[in-house]
Amino acid sequence: MFTRSFFKLTTSTTTTTIPKNRINFINLIRLQSTFKLNNNSIVSNYSKSPILKFTNEHEWISIHPDGTGFIGITNYASDALGDATFIELPIQQIGEEIKNGETISSVESVKSASDIYSPVDGKIIEVNEKLDDSPDLINSDPMGDGWIVKIKIDNNDPTLNDLMDVDSYKTFVENSDH
Amino acid sequence: MLRSSIKYTTNLKTFSKSTIKCYSTEVSEENLLKTPLFDSHVALGATMVPFAGYSMPVLYKDQTHIQSHNWTRKNCGIFDVSHMLQHKINGPNTTKFLEKITPTDFHALKPYQNHLSVLLNKNGGVIDDTIITKHADDSFYIVTNAGCREKDIAFIKEELKNFPGGEQINHENFDGTLLAIQGPKSQEILSKFTTSNLKDLYFGNSRFIDLQGFNTDEKFHVSRGGYTGEDGFEISIPNNKVGVEFFNALLEYDEIVKPIGLAARDSLRLEAGMCLYGHELNDDVTPIEASLNWLVSKSRRGDSSTANFNGASKIIEQINNPKSVSYKRVGLTSKGPSPRHGNKIFSAEDPSKQVGIVCSGSPSPSAGGNVAQVFLDKPYNKTGTKVKVEIRGKLRDAEVAKMPFYPTSYYKSP
Repeated sequence: MFTRSFFKLTTSTTTTTIPKNRINFINLIRLQSTFKLNNNSIVSNYSKSPILKFTNEHEWISIHPDGTGFIGITNYASDALGDATFIELPIQQIGEEIKNGETISSVESVKSASDIYSPVDGKIIEVNEKLDDSPDLINSDPMGDGWIVKIKIDNNDPTLNDLMDVDSYKTFVENSDH
Repeated sequence: MLRSSIKYTTNLKTFSKSTIKCYSTEVSEENLLKTPLFDSHVALGATMVPFAGYSMPVLYKDQTHIQSHNWTRKNCGIFDVSHMLQHKINGPNTTKFLEKITPTDFHALKPYQNHLSVLLNKNGGVIDDTIITKHADDSFYIVTNAGCREKDIAFIKEELKNFPGGEQINHENFDGTLLAIQGPKSQEILSKFTTSNLKDLYFGNSRFIDLQGFNTDEKFHVSRGGYTGEDGFEISIPNNKVGVEFFNALLEYDEIVKPIGLAARDSLRLEAGMCLYGHELNDDVTPIEASLNWLVSKSRRGDSSTANFNGASKIIEQINNPKSVSYKRVGLTSKGPSPRHGNKIFSAEDPSKQVGIVCSGSPSPSAGGNVAQVFLDKPYNKTGTKVKVEIRGKLRDAEVAKMPFYPTSYYKSP
């Protein structure tokens, strides 16, 4: 009735405690490799020289020379959100102009719903309809095939320069973890 | 995007300010209480969140919310519920006292049987929901919600003061490790640790059992039931050294057992159609409005000699004259964006007319689609009625549905 492992366990009375900052440190090591685009996906290989930018709401945008941008959420945000169950896509807003900061989508998990804001001014030209059947792409490849909206960026958007580059965003994530 | 779009609305009178306050007590992180298993949770890589004044695990490392949820439905999940408030109450006329503050017939209960009940205020509103176990005539074990700790203690104290002979009733609270063992493999696991034959311990019953291998002769209170809709047990271990060792020993059976956090606890109970205080229940909602008529024992619906609990006149009137009840708690199902706590519900025919509010809602890992528990005005509460839920500024289709959303699997006596 009683297995050996049972006795083995009950003789040890101490539990190991990992300090909280240590856990954050471990998470960060894992995250170091996750601040970049999936190079095998359209968000990266749409052109030869995409520029990657981030917002303090944990959205990313890959900006291509012809003014096309792909928008999604970062690996960090995807981890924090958990299993995505539904992505509300702005399908009726295709062709419409939107402003930086406007809600363009919502990502839902079992426990929460989070709004996604456009990082730039521009015109929505496509939504990632694969997310309708596979919301899990938000978790498996948030910075690649889990992109949400394709946008034609307004070149005159004065806030474009306010977006973070990868180093600034890394620092931002590190600081927000403490 | 991590700004949550879920906002708490307090527009309907059913969401009283006192309720919101009860669950949003601002406690700075260093002042949070810790359960005896706090260090174990941290060692397991749990994400700890403030809940009802405690630092509690919401999710454990290497499990997603949905994995935790499904694991409990298929195997065995261990939940730390030590934050909940445990009471002992005994002395002359304790039964009579409990029948003043709840609508339950405790004379009819046999020793070591328990019943879900509600503590009632004088208006028939629910102060808290609770499981009350009879140990002997005039001796009971009670578990209430952590979020209502101070309110419940003050309420019981005040009621005892006003109860004739109340000074002879002994009421005390005690701490310790309280674990919920939930899922179809719960009996298989718990049987590995006790000589007690759990096969004849049925849902709604409890007993004191031994735990082998922890150098103790103490016996521990275990009741069959839980808060997931699955078979399972809740075990109270006042000796924290034993509690921590037992928790860790359970987790050794890692092919069957996983620790499960608050996230899955909420989605599991929601699917099972169970109420969460502060969402489906509050000081202004009666058990009838909450569709908990069955909590008012049949033997306590008569004249003033039996229907003599707090708020009885209102509650009995609501039972006898259903038209006097303006809204009920019902289930709702939908596809697409999920209804969430506080979303307003509108009539499908007249979308300018608000007819209800969402108490709790989320995508359902076990049933598929979205499920919600809501308060709906009559006659919109009928199963199959189509309504609209306002989610992020848009009206979305939903339909009134029967609860539970996922079938319960209790271990009931034949």
